Amino acid sequence: MLAAIIVPIVILVGIIIILLFVGIGIYNGIINLRNRIDNAWSQIDVQLRKRYDLIPNLVETVKGYAAHERETLENVIKARSLGIEAKTVTDQSKAENVITETLKSLFAVAEQYPNLKADQHFLRLMEELKGIESNIAYARQFYNDSVLQYNTKIQTFPGNIFASWFKFTPRDYFEIEESAAREPVKVKF
Amino acid sequence: MYEYISSNRRKTIFIIIFFILFISLLGFAIGYYIDYRYGINGGFSVLLMIVALIFALITSFGSYYYSDKIVIAITNARPLTHEENPRIFYIVEGLSIAAGIPMPKVYVIDELGMNAFATGRNPKNSIIVLTKGLIQNLDDEELKGVIAHEISHIKNYDILLGTIIAILVGMVVILSNIIFRSFLFGGGRRSSNKNSGGGIFNIIFLLLGLFLIILSPIIAMIMRFAISRQREYLADSNGALITRYPAGLANALRKISAYSQVKTANNATEHMFIANPFGKGNKMAFSSLFNTHPPIEERIKRLEKMSLGIGVKSTEQIMQEINK
Repeated sequence: MLAAIIVPIVILVGIIIILLFVGIGIYNGIINLRNRIDNAWSQIDVQLRKRYDLIPNLVETVKGYAAHERETLENVIKARSLGIEAKTVTDQSKAENVITETLKSLFAVAEQYPNLKADQHFLRLMEELKGIESNIAYARQFYNDSVLQYNTKIQTFPGNIFASWFKFTPRDYFEIEESAAREPVKVKF
Repeated sequence: MYEYISSNRRKTIFIIIFFILFISLLGFAIGYYIDYRYGINGGFSVLLMIVALIFALITSFGSYYYSDKIVIAITNARPLTHEENPRIFYIVEGLSIAAGIPMPKVYVIDELGMNAFATGRNPKNSIIVLTKGLIQNLDDEELKGVIAHEISHIKNYDILLGTIIAILVGMVVILSNIIFRSFLFGGGRRSSNKNSGGGIFNIIFLLLGLFLIILSPIIAMIMRFAISRQREYLADSNGALITRYPAGLANALRKISAYSQVKTANNATEHMFIANPFGKGNKMAFSSLFNTHPPIEERIKRLEKMSLGIGVKSTEQIMQEINK
C-alpha cells in the first residue's frame, strides 16, 4: 500500500532531478559559448588596436615623401578615428572596412613614389601591417565561428526555450564588405 | 572532440601508472637479487622498491611539468625571437587566434631537414618547434598548413600524451639497457665462483635480463599503439579547418617528404614530428607495421580530396622550389 505511493513519487523526483541537471548543462553550454564570443571579440580588439597604433607611424612616413597627397592621408586618419570611436559590432565592422579601403588607396599612392617604396622603415611597416591584417582576418574567423555556434544553439531546440526564459539574444557577425570589392574601379582623370 | 581529449588524458594517466609500477617492480627485482646474493632476508627488496617508487613518482611529476623543456633540450632547439623572423610570429599568432588558443612559444632547430613538432602539457604551456630548413623552403601558405597542424595537436592534447611518452618510455628503455648489462656482467662473474645452487638463480636472472632487453621493443610497441595513426589524419583535417586551405598543408607535406631528416631526433621523440624524422626507406619493413605516422602519400591524397584540387602544386613545381 505504502509502496504504491512511494514508488511513483521517487520516480517522479528522480525524473525532475535528471531534468534539472540536463537543464543546468544546457544553460552552462550557452553561457560558455557566449563567453567565447566575448573572448573572440577581445582578440579582434587587440589586433585592431595594433593597427590603430601603426597607422599614424605609416602616415608620417608617407608624408615624408608625398606630402602633397593630403586628401588620401587625411582620409586614413579620419577612418582611424572612426574605428576608435565605434561602439557596436556593426559600427566597428563598417569602420574597419573604411580603414582597409583608405589604406588601399594609400598604397596605390605609394606605388607612384619609388623612393618611398625603397624606404626601409616603410617596408618594415608594410610587413607589420600585412601580419596584423591577416591576424585580423583570423580573429574575425574565430569570432564569426563562435557567433554561428552560439546563434545556432539558442535558435534550435532545446536552446530556444532557454533563450526565451533567460533572454539570450543572437549576436551580430563581424562582416567584411564584399560589395566594395566587387564594384568596378573608378578611374579619375 | 571532447571525447578525444579525455581519451588522451586517460592514456597519459595509464602510461604514468604503468611507468611507476614498472620502476617499482624493477627496484624490487634488483633488491631481491641483492638479498639473495648476500643472504640478507628481505631487507633490500623492500628498501629498493620504496626508493624506486619515490624515484618514479618524482620523475613522473617532473616529466609532467618539465616535459617541454626536456624535449627542447634533447632536440637542441632554441627560442626564435620576433626580430629574427616577424613572418613566423605573425603566422603563429594569427593561427592560434583562429583556433582560439593562447599563442604558443616558437623554437627553432638549426638543421636543414624540413620538419616540425609541438610539445608541452596544455595549450597554455605549449611550444611549436620548426626546423630552419622548413622556414627557409616553405612559402607562407605551406607554413600556415604545417603550423595549423601543430596547433591542432596542441588543442587536442596530443602534445601531452606524446611528450610524456617520449620521456617516460625513453627512460624505461635506457634503464632496461643499463640493468641488462649489469646483470649480464655481474652474472658472468658470479658463475665463475664455486657457489652451489647459485647456477639456477644465475640462469633466472639472466632470463630476467633477457626479458628486459626484449621488453624495450615491446614498450616501444605499446607506445605506438597508444598513439593512434588516426591522430595525424585528425590533425591534418583540423589544421585545414583552421587555415581553410587544405592545399597549403598538402603542398607542404609533399615538399617535406623530399627531405625530412632531423639529426637530433631519436626513437623516443620520433612520433612527435609531423613527418618521419629518419626519412624514408631508413627502417626495416617490419617496423612499418608499427609506424607512428601514416604514409605521407595517403595524407596528401586526403588533403587534396578536401581541397578539391584547388591550389595543389604539381610534383615538378615542388621540386623546382626546393632546388631554387
